[in-house]
Amino acid sequence: MTRRVVGVIIVVAVAWGGLAAAIYFGLTPVLGLDLQGGTAVVLTAPEGTDPELLEVATQIMNRRIEEIGAVQEPDIQVSGENTVIVQLPGVEDEQRAIEAVGQTGMLSFRPVLDIVPGETGPLAGSGTPNIDDETGLTIEDDLAAETWLLYDSGTGSEVLKLGPAQLRGEHVADAVSQFDPNSAVWAVSLDLTGEGADLFADLTAEAASYPIGDPRRQIAIVLDGRVVTAPGVNPSVSPETGISGGSAQITLGQGSDSQQEATDLAVVLRYGSLPVDFEVSAVRKVSGTLGADSLQAGVIAGLLGLLLVAIVLLLAYRSLGLVAVIGLSIFATVLITIFGLLGEWVGFTLTLAGVTGLIVSMGISADTYIVYFERIKEKLRQGFPVEQASADGFRIAFRTMLTANTVSLLGAVLLWALAVGAVKGFAISLGIGTVLDLVVALVFTRRAAGVLAETRLGSGGSFSIEGAAR
Amino acid sequence: MSDAGFLRRMDRGETTIDFVGLRRRWFVLSAVFIVVSLGSLAFRQLNLGIEFVGGLGIQSPNPAGADVGEIRDALSEVGVTSPTIQLLDDGAAVRVTTEALENDVVIDAVGAVAEVTGSELSEISTEAVGPSFGALVLRRALLALGVFLGAVILFITWRMEFKMAMAAIVAVIHDLIMTVGIYSITGFVVTPATVVAILTILGYSLYDGVVVFDKIDELVGIEDNKTYTQITNMALNQVLARSLFTSLASLIPVGSILLVGSVILGAPTLTEFALALFVGLAVGTYSSIFVASPLLAVWKEREPYWQERAEKVERRNRAGRN
Repeated sequence: MTRRVVGVIIVVAVAWGGLAAAIYFGLTPVLGLDLQGGTAVVLTAPEGTDPELLEVATQIMNRRIEEIGAVQEPDIQVSGENTVIVQLPGVEDEQRAIEAVGQTGMLSFRPVLDIVPGETGPLAGSGTPNIDDETGLTIEDDLAAETWLLYDSGTGSEVLKLGPAQLRGEHVADAVSQFDPNSAVWAVSLDLTGEGADLFADLTAEAASYPIGDPRRQIAIVLDGRVVTAPGVNPSVSPETGISGGSAQITLGQGSDSQQEATDLAVVLRYGSLPVDFEVSAVRKVSGTLGADSLQAGVIAGLLGLLLVAIVLLLAYRSLGLVAVIGLSIFATVLITIFGLLGEWVGFTLTLAGVTGLIVSMGISADTYIVYFERIKEKLRQGFPVEQASADGFRIAFRTMLTANTVSLLGAVLLWALAVGAVKGFAISLGIGTVLDLVVALVFTRRAAGVLAETRLGSGGSFSIEGAAR
Repeated sequence: MSDAGFLRRMDRGETTIDFVGLRRRWFVLSAVFIVVSLGSLAFRQLNLGIEFVGGLGIQSPNPAGADVGEIRDALSEVGVTSPTIQLLDDGAAVRVTTEALENDVVIDAVGAVAEVTGSELSEISTEAVGPSFGALVLRRALLALGVFLGAVILFITWRMEFKMAMAAIVAVIHDLIMTVGIYSITGFVVTPATVVAILTILGYSLYDGVVVFDKIDELVGIEDNKTYTQITNMALNQVLARSLFTSLASLIPVGSILLVGSVILGAPTLTEFALALFVGLAVGTYSSIFVASPLLAVWKEREPYWQERAEKVERRNRAGRN
């Protein structure tokens, strides 16, 4: 008896205290876009795209999103075989979001014409068209024209004056990062197409014709108006032929930073900016007010539903109804805590579909109590004492609960695995709900009913368990 | 027999309704509904939402109080023809749905709606879906449904028996046709939320069926002198209270979504979802009692073992009368 009382108290304390602690540590569920406002973009890659490429693409998108700034927690995930879902909470300019994630970039090789140290170009304040008046940098990059671009060379900022593009992304056949064990440096080796090889030879021959130390010996690799790197031509390159034969090596340096740089550069060279040509399949923008309204509706509906179910259960099952009400509150608090933790650990976001899943699983949980309580009543009518009725009733009812909840869980798992979009969020809520329901039945409901059976609420009085069976 | 007396007897599992014997009544009722549903599906089809067929949805507040005609005019000026325009919340908000548009036209259309309703661009919610993605969502949902039904047959066969699995599946398909039929008849838009609702209904319907079958299994082990039909009737009468309480307990949260969503806050997504659930849950409860179990009883009675049992019971009854 006392052990069971302690057990019940511990379960209640853990559930309610757990939620309080979660809230105290800020682990409340992360709200999905439809509940807090923001933009979601669904991108579809061509059938049969290498999953690794999708992974690379999401990394590049993440970087681009960071450049937009002011995105609270971008969430970019590969979903299914060839779909990428980009969620940008708080972003209300959907056009910019689409541009940031959906377009493959323009990669170009350009001759460096001049270098000005610092962050401001010489054309600042000159009023030249397409030049930012404050920084002196080109606003809209045109591959066919001379441009002024900022370059962070690693040792400081420079403004580069670049000639029109000589080679483009399509001229690159392949690029791989390599470690040269002799000189212990990281490098990217570059293979060019037939046409690219000729153009590259011309470009490097021109660069090699300038004296060592001249900025014009450098060649800039530019992606979407951003200078990725600007290596100089090696002194051994002949100004007559340039780098011929269609292959070249870009040396980066030693250490793990250089390794990362080499890997990134190889990716950029190989694919332009996005390794996959995505199609924008769906765009969804939810305004902050609509999101807040939906959340409010969900919360009110949930609380109202809980209240009404509680009243019905109390009327139908008297003191056992009390067990069900406390059990449902345990169910709800633990579920919210789990959502909070999942948000922290795996980036789970609670969407409107998830909230409805939660409300629906409350109905399933209520049913679990009903199955059990009906069994208790049945046993009481067969003449068993209250204590035995509650213990035996659970054993029989648990079989039913197990079968029925397995069916629900099966549905949830399959939905989660196979469906795309909003349905997934619902499936997760429902799945966690069905498992949690069984756990609550095992650790709380059984004990609580047992404790209740031994008190005055077990037998005697119309509010007791026996009162409900009469 | 007073109503209170019936409720009391139902609660105690002492009612003696002949569910199986009256099966023709239920089957005819179901058949009528199924024919109506299928007929409607054949002639009216379903009103599939933009999430499935592609298109643009715009939801905006409406401080300027623009009416449908004004919005239609504003949209046709930017080249958007034949939009569907709904006023929500007594005109406090509008929802516009069109076919899929080019990106530039989308920007113009959203701008036109913002101007005519007098709202800020940031207050407007939009949803643009390409047709191929919509088709994918639908395909995947149907795939999930198919695999789910298959898995349920296997699970119930393993846990109970094949005939029970089939009876449960027939009931589920029955619910499915009716719910989808109601969508077709009313012309409500089918959204991903609807699909979720329908899948939930399937879950509930199966859950209900499993509870009844579990009871039948239990009684088969105890009652040596009853036919399968009698046992099924006993089981149904005994779990009737649970079935009704359960339906009540599941309908209440869904009903509160319906109430809060439609009456108080006007969140259309929730309302649509709750409506499908509400209808489906009612149908699901009905089918597990009136379709799945009688079907199972009729089928099982054909097994030699149960035929023999029926003859034995018959003989004993006659002997008792003589």
